[in-house]
Amino acid sequence: MDVIVASGLRKHYGPVEAVAGITLAVAAGQIVAVLGPNGAGKTTTIELLLGLRRPSAGQVRVFGQRPDAPQVRGRVGAMLQDANVPESLTVAELVGLVGRYYPYALPVGEVLSKAGLVGRDGVRVGELSGGQRQRLSFALAIVGDPDLLFLDEPTVALDVEARRGFWEQVHGFTALGKTILFSTHYLAEADAFADRVVVIHQGRVLKDAPPAAIKALVAAKTVRLATDLPLAEVRRIDGVEHAEIQPSSPGDVPAGLERLVVQSNAPEQLLRELVSRGVALYDLTVVDTDLEAAFVRLTRGDRVQEAAA
Amino acid sequence: MTTPATATTPERRLSPGAKPSGSIAGLLAAQVLAEVRQARRVPQFLIGVVAVPVMLYAMFGLPEAGQIMAGGTDIGAMMFASLSCYGVVSLAIFTFGVDVAQERGSGWLRRLHVTPMPMWVYLAGKCAMAVIFTAAILVATLAVAVLAGGVRFDPARLVRTCLALMAGALAFSPMGFALAFWARPRAAAAIGNLVFLPLAFASGFFYTLNALPGFLQDLAHYLPTYHFGQLVWNQLGPTTDVVAFGSPAPDPLPVHLAWVLGCFIVFGALAAAGYRHHLGHEQS
Repeated sequence: MDVIVASGLRKHYGPVEAVAGITLAVAAGQIVAVLGPNGAGKTTTIELLLGLRRPSAGQVRVFGQRPDAPQVRGRVGAMLQDANVPESLTVAELVGLVGRYYPYALPVGEVLSKAGLVGRDGVRVGELSGGQRQRLSFALAIVGDPDLLFLDEPTVALDVEARRGFWEQVHGFTALGKTILFSTHYLAEADAFADRVVVIHQGRVLKDAPPAAIKALVAAKTVRLATDLPLAEVRRIDGVEHAEIQPSSPGDVPAGLERLVVQSNAPEQLLRELVSRGVALYDLTVVDTDLEAAFVRLTRGDRVQEAAA
Repeated sequence: MTTPATATTPERRLSPGAKPSGSIAGLLAAQVLAEVRQARRVPQFLIGVVAVPVMLYAMFGLPEAGQIMAGGTDIGAMMFASLSCYGVVSLAIFTFGVDVAQERGSGWLRRLHVTPMPMWVYLAGKCAMAVIFTAAILVATLAVAVLAGGVRFDPARLVRTCLALMAGALAFSPMGFALAFWARPRAAAAIGNLVFLPLAFASGFFYTLNALPGFLQDLAHYLPTYHFGQLVWNQLGPTTDVVAFGSPAPDPLPVHLAWVLGCFIVFGALAAAGYRHHLGHEQS
C-alpha cells in the first residue's frame, strides 16, 4: 500500500527547473532517504510532497488524496528548514499548542522525551540553543503522531555527536510502522537510517535503490594520497569503488610517486593494505565523498552507457 | 512500482500514547491562550498597545479633566473616548498588521500550513487577543481618568462606549490583516506607522477636529476612523456635548455605521485577496 505516489513532478522557478520530472512511490512503513548535493532539488521535492508548493506539472497523492487535504495534513508531520516558531512561548506550551492542531496528539511529556528535550519544558523557545531548536522542530513534527513524517535536512546544523543522538530519536519513532522520508547530503546518514535511498541530482532521480547498492556506486569516503603502488593494484583492494590518477605538476610529489584519488567504502581496509605492503605513502587525506563530484561522475557514466547502447 | 492513486488509504497507525485532541472550542481556547501569553511576555508589545494610550491620556486628557460641558459630560471623559479610539485602531493595525506580517516573515505561518489547523482559528485567535487587549486599554485609561483625574462617567453611557470600542477592534482588524498580507514583512511596521499616525491625527483622536486646519476637517469625513470616533463620542455624551467638545455635528447614526462597516468589508476583501496572494506566492 503506497503512502506517497508522485508522478512526473516538475517545478520551475522562472527559468530554473528545480525539479525536472520526479516519479516516486513510497510504501507504508518505508524509511526513504532523499540524497543529493545542495541545490539538487531535495527541499522543493519535499515541499511538493507536502503540498506547500504547487507543481508546474505532474501529480502528488498522499494517502490517496491531495497533499493539502485536511485529512492528509492530520496524518503528516514535517520538519522544515527556515521555519521559525514564536520565541516567547515555552517549549511545553508550543508543543502542546501544535498538538491541539492535530486530530490525535501524543502527550507533551512523551514528545519531549522522544525529541531529547526532557527538562526543557519550561524554557522559552527564544532561549534554546541551535541544536535544541532542531530537536524542538522534530518535537513539533511528531506531536500529532503522524503516519508519515517528512524531515528536510534535519541534521544540517548539528555536529557529529548531536547527529547520532538525533537519529536515535528518529529510530524510536519508526517502531510503529510509520513512514519516514528525509533528505540529506550525507551518504553515511542515508546508509545508516534508510532502507531505500533516492538519489536526486539536478531535479531528477538518478538512482533509487537500497543503501548497499548506492554505496557500490558512490563510495562514502574519498582518500587522496601519493603512492608508488600502481593504480591497477589499488583498484583491486577491498572496498575500493573507484580510483583514478590525479594529474600533478612536476616536483609536486617525490619522484616515482603518483597522486591518486580513491573512493572507498572501507578506507581503513585500504590504508591497512597499503601499510602492510610497505609502499610509499605521502600526503594522505580521508574525507567524506563530495556528492556533487560523485554525481557528476555518475551522470557522465550514464551518458556513456546510453551512447554505447 | 508506481501505482495509481489507491481507493483504500493505508490505515492509521496510532502510537499507544496518542489521544484524541478534543473539540474545536478547546482548540480555539488554546490558540487564544497562546496568543495572550505571547503578547504578555513581549514588553514592547504591552508598552506600544496599552501604555502609549494611557500615557497620552495622562498628557492630553488629564489637564482637561473636571471641565463639565453643558450636557453634563466631562471633557476628560471625552478625551478618554478619543485616546481609546487611538488605542483601539493602533491595536488593530499593529497587532494584526505587524504581528501577522512578522509571523509570515519568520516562517511560522508556513509551519502552520503543514498542520491541519484551519486558518480561521489562527485569525480568530488574533481577533480574540485584540478584544482582550482593548479591554486592557480601557481599564487602564479609565483607572487614570477616574483615580487621577476624578472624572465621572454616566455608567450606562460608559458601558455603551466600551462596547463600541471593542466592536471597533474587530471592525478595523481586516485593515491589519490586509497590511500583513500585502506589505513585505519587514516593511509592515513602517507602513503601519505611516498610515496610522496621520489617520489618528486627522480623525480628531489627539486634537479635536475644530483645532485642525480646514482641509483636514473636510478630509475627516472620508476617513472610516473619524466615523468610528463619532460613534464612540456619541455613546459617551449627548450631541450638544460632542459638538461643544470640538467635533463636527454627527451625521445620522446609520451613516457612521455604514462607513465603519464598509471599511470592514472593503478591507476584509482586501485581506482575503492578500491571503490568497500570500499563499500563491508561497506555493509558486
